[in-house]
Amino acid sequence: MRALLVRIMAFATATLMLLLAFTFAWLHHPAPPGELSGAVQAGRAVYQTHGCALCHAIGGEGNPRTPLDGVGARRDAAQIRDWILATGEAEGALPAPIARVKSSFRTLGEEDLAALVAYLQSLPPRD
Amino acid sequence: MPASPALLRASGLAQGMGWILLYLLLISAPLIVLIAWPLPTSGLPVRDFSVGLGFAAMGMLGVQFLLTARFRRASAPFGLDILYYFHRLTALVAFAFLVGHYLILRISYPEQFGALNPLEAPLGQSAGQLALLLFGVLIVISLWRRQLCIGYEVWRVAHASLATIAFLAAVVHIELAGDFTNHPLLRWVWTAYTLFWVLLIAYVRLVKPWGMLRKPWRVTEVRPERGHAWTVSLRPEGHEGMHFAPGQFAWLTLRASPFAMKEHPFSIASSATDPSRIEFTIKALGDFTRTIGSVQPGELAYIEGPHGVFSVDRHPQAPGFVFIAGGVGIVPIMSMLRTLADRGDRRRLRLFYASKRLEEVIFCEEIEDLSTRLDLEVIHVIGDPPPDWTGEQGRIDAALLKRHLPPAPETLEYFLCGPKPMMDALQLCLRGLGVPLGHIHYDRFELV
Repeated sequence: MRALLVRIMAFATATLMLLLAFTFAWLHHPAPPGELSGAVQAGRAVYQTHGCALCHAIGGEGNPRTPLDGVGARRDAAQIRDWILATGEAEGALPAPIARVKSSFRTLGEEDLAALVAYLQSLPPRD
Repeated sequence: MPASPALLRASGLAQGMGWILLYLLLISAPLIVLIAWPLPTSGLPVRDFSVGLGFAAMGMLGVQFLLTARFRRASAPFGLDILYYFHRLTALVAFAFLVGHYLILRISYPEQFGALNPLEAPLGQSAGQLALLLFGVLIVISLWRRQLCIGYEVWRVAHASLATIAFLAAVVHIELAGDFTNHPLLRWVWTAYTLFWVLLIAYVRLVKPWGMLRKPWRVTEVRPERGHAWTVSLRPEGHEGMHFAPGQFAWLTLRASPFAMKEHPFSIASSATDPSRIEFTIKALGDFTRTIGSVQPGELAYIEGPHGVFSVDRHPQAPGFVFIAGGVGIVPIMSMLRTLADRGDRRRLRLFYASKRLEEVIFCEEIEDLSTRLDLEVIHVIGDPPPDWTGEQGRIDAALLKRHLPPAPETLEYFLCGPKPMMDALQLCLRGLGVPLGHIHYDRFELV
């Protein structure tokens, strides 16, 4: 009897925790795309598809350790491209493990990469 | 005026519900904080679900140690054996959540996952992978300890060390790789979990042993029993002893300091009417138990307990009891029989006692003596009987029970103690005979 109750309790605990995890994810649903140009919208899709928010934040959304707001005012398109791919000046400046992760984006198609750069350039600085 | 049994039951139920609610609140605290406070959206619901799984797992793992810290007040409504079982089940659930957290991220965002090699991967990611690996090892050595030939004492040290290192590695992972730790309340939650863990370790490994050191026991006798078992008799040294309910168990430390983590759980065999004389009857089965015979009178011992809900004292209104024992499973039942005899109890009692061979029937003579002091019918069931044996033989099954149970068996309370396969089979037999599930009680012998 007690063992059965314990199994039920463990199952109920697991279900509750799964529901809470799901509720948390559901409450943090993606924001609507808004009025963006074609290339910028495509770049935003690349940003989301490739999980850039795991390490970066835009407008307070994502990982706040490395925000990208206003990056277009600080770097030009070529530099942003270097920082995405860990090439050029970024290659030496980034810690080796991070550079290795970033180098995986070199497999991105030229069109996707250009769209991503356009999206990042469009980001306004955050107040 | 003593409280009525119904009032005691209601009070126990309320206490149990209170502890369950507290447990659920503790494990879900990180997710409740994340859900209740407005946070910016990440735009990655799959990633957030994975993070949610990670937080769910860590919430559960953060209080795992609490379940096995042997707080008598918290374990009283459930029984410590069942809390250990729950600890084991929830550990598996939490580990499944951790694996889910890892796999969702690895499959959904393979680019962000660098190499598995910790020298090449970011520290936060390596800390998380280390935690996952250590929790995995922990589960493997706990589920298959015997098959892996790991001694109980070695396992205990490995279990405590691996759990602590894995938990700390996971906290480092959350701190370095996560993006929700900047939330001040969540930071407090993780600090509280870590502090809670450290304080629990201090309580279990320092405060409790110190309390045991202040209440030592002295071995007064070590006598051999049938069936390769030994009875160790203990007297309190400078204190009044330990009150317990018949059928309960305690952790016994012999030939070691209480700080040494070398205690072992054993059922108490003696009568609960004398708290100043505790006896454990121990079968020589493992590394530690095989050394019991060499313990000498005069040696110091330490006892931590009592624990467990396997006792006739929890059913004072029962019209009678049926005990079913297999081998050394007779020990807690013997404590109950001795106590009932000392109290002059005259309720109907049946004892079904399975032993492999007649000469291995532990307490054989004393059980016969007890049957004259109690309204007790004893049914010995011998697996490999001698040629002249006229009693029951083979295994205890439904037909055998039916032959010897008194009328209206569904009104009695049943206490089962023996090997797990035997107890599983007997539960089905008893259910088949119409005994309600709530009337069947058993002690989960093997905690690990």
